[in-house]
Amino acid sequence: MMGETMKVDRRDAKLTLAHLYVAFIALALGGLAGLLQTLVRSGKFNLPAGISYYTILTTHGVLLGLVLTTFFIIGFQFAAVSRTSGAFSDRVRFWGWVGFWTMTIGTAMTAFFILTGQAAVLYTFYAPLQAHAGFYLGLTLVVVGSWISGFAIFAHYARWKKQNPGKASPLLTFMSVTNMILWLVCTLGVAATVLFQLLPWSLGITDRINILVSRTLFWYFGHPLVYFWLLPAYMIWYVVIPKVIGGKIFSDSLARLAFILFLIFSIPVGFHHQLLEPGITPFWKYVQVILTFMVVIPSLMTAFAMFATFESYGRSKGATGLFGWLRKLPWGDARFFAPFVGMLFFIPGGAGGIINASHQLDQVVHNTVWVTGHFHLTIATTVVLTFFGAAYWLIPHLSGRVMTKAMNRLAIIQTVVWAIGMTFMSGSMHFAGLLGAPRRSAFSTYGNSPQALEWIPYQIAQAVGGTILFIGIILVLVIVTNLAFFAPKGETEFPVAEAAEPAERTALAMENWKLWIGITVALILIAYTIPFVDMIQNAPPGSKGYKLW
Amino acid sequence: MAKAELQQTSPKMKEKEPPLKGTLASVFLLGFFIIFSWVSVYFLFLHRL
Repeated sequence: MMGETMKVDRRDAKLTLAHLYVAFIALALGGLAGLLQTLVRSGKFNLPAGISYYTILTTHGVLLGLVLTTFFIIGFQFAAVSRTSGAFSDRVRFWGWVGFWTMTIGTAMTAFFILTGQAAVLYTFYAPLQAHAGFYLGLTLVVVGSWISGFAIFAHYARWKKQNPGKASPLLTFMSVTNMILWLVCTLGVAATVLFQLLPWSLGITDRINILVSRTLFWYFGHPLVYFWLLPAYMIWYVVIPKVIGGKIFSDSLARLAFILFLIFSIPVGFHHQLLEPGITPFWKYVQVILTFMVVIPSLMTAFAMFATFESYGRSKGATGLFGWLRKLPWGDARFFAPFVGMLFFIPGGAGGIINASHQLDQVVHNTVWVTGHFHLTIATTVVLTFFGAAYWLIPHLSGRVMTKAMNRLAIIQTVVWAIGMTFMSGSMHFAGLLGAPRRSAFSTYGNSPQALEWIPYQIAQAVGGTILFIGIILVLVIVTNLAFFAPKGETEFPVAEAAEPAERTALAMENWKLWIGITVALILIAYTIPFVDMIQNAPPGSKGYKLW
Repeated sequence: MAKAELQQTSPKMKEKEPPLKGTLASVFLLGFFIIFSWVSVYFLFLHRL
């Protein structure tokens, strides 16, 4: 019988490690591109050898936003499922490898077309900017590979359920399955725009493209993508961090409910990225803004659960006073410290998200570098620092090594460096955005307009922050390389906490997938059908493709 | 019956319930921060009308 095992099977460990290696290579290359971007935007630096700013922009966006995240997440989920639901069958593992190689070949293909200057399309699919068809095909392979891996996880989950009738699945397995269902449903949108619009258009089969339909399909995918990044971080917060600090999961049921709410509410919300676009009536924008605010609820539930976990632990250790429990937390343990700093940054990150999604407030910040600052808090700090914190136990667990005290200290320093760098970079992006500085564009004084000149000090601050962050990337690469290949041999724990009060019946109700997927699909149809039909029926002639850089 | 069960379990629950005053204060601080940020940008919007 496949019960709860303490270690990830060695063969499954190899599969996860392969994903993590690609993720950290993407971090190195994508991070370098990010550093170059901030230097160019300071106005003090020009790229050598005729390299275009927009080439490195797409490199940065694709490698960090899609490759680092997707590879880390799928690798982590394979390990989490294997750890909590038992070793994979040979068949599941085989399909896991097929998924990995499909994604890797797709990544290599995409990288080739970006680096050869044939795919400067801002962040991924920004029609009417047109890329070489190979770029779209490469990214299609990344998505298809992730689907294969998702189905491998589903197959393993189904086997566990068959072997454990009437039992609720282990929490980490449940969360991984929820995240892969979310991913599968939302990537249908991006697959539709690539297969039916972008590929035929880039191959010359069709001459023009319906921009609004393409953008709508992209944002149908683009916002749940954010939750696909965030949910694995939440898995670590809910299940791993309580064990690392020596406590228990505050509520198993609350964690499961939060994940189901994310599945239901994170998809029919894409219009809040399109609030300032013509062609969508205000009513449907309003409906999707309401749904966007619904998805704030599970994040607030998570914030509550984290505070409660920390306070319960601190009180059990005799903490007194309103905030005395904070002193009892293991500040010297990088496995805790890095994700905790990530959580702190999610407070301004989340507040900024609520501002972005409010129609009037969006008019202040839309298409400004404020938005860039926002997602560098959420994905590039909250999620990434949590992933780094997870790598500090996951990689040695898989490689059969232990993290030394020196490496732990370096990881603490890395976290501090990251926090300082991001405060400079994201903070100045937020302020410059409020002053109207645009996102996506290379350095320009816009004919020495007084308003544009106001942004320059903030752009220099962004370069300072970007440089500090790049030092942070070098540090994390040193730590990760050490943990994978050079750290002393030994056993490292994969921390999985127990729930304070197991609630089997509630947990089982949360696995009524027909119900949850049914509600998810119904909400998507309600939020999208009428405006989408309207976009097609009243479509303008469409746009030709542009290759500007 | 249900009421009797509730009465029986309540004192037990009270014993087990950890004091979460710090959590309450933390979520309030978080809420105030969100409201403060939102209102700040809203006033900026009004100012620029």
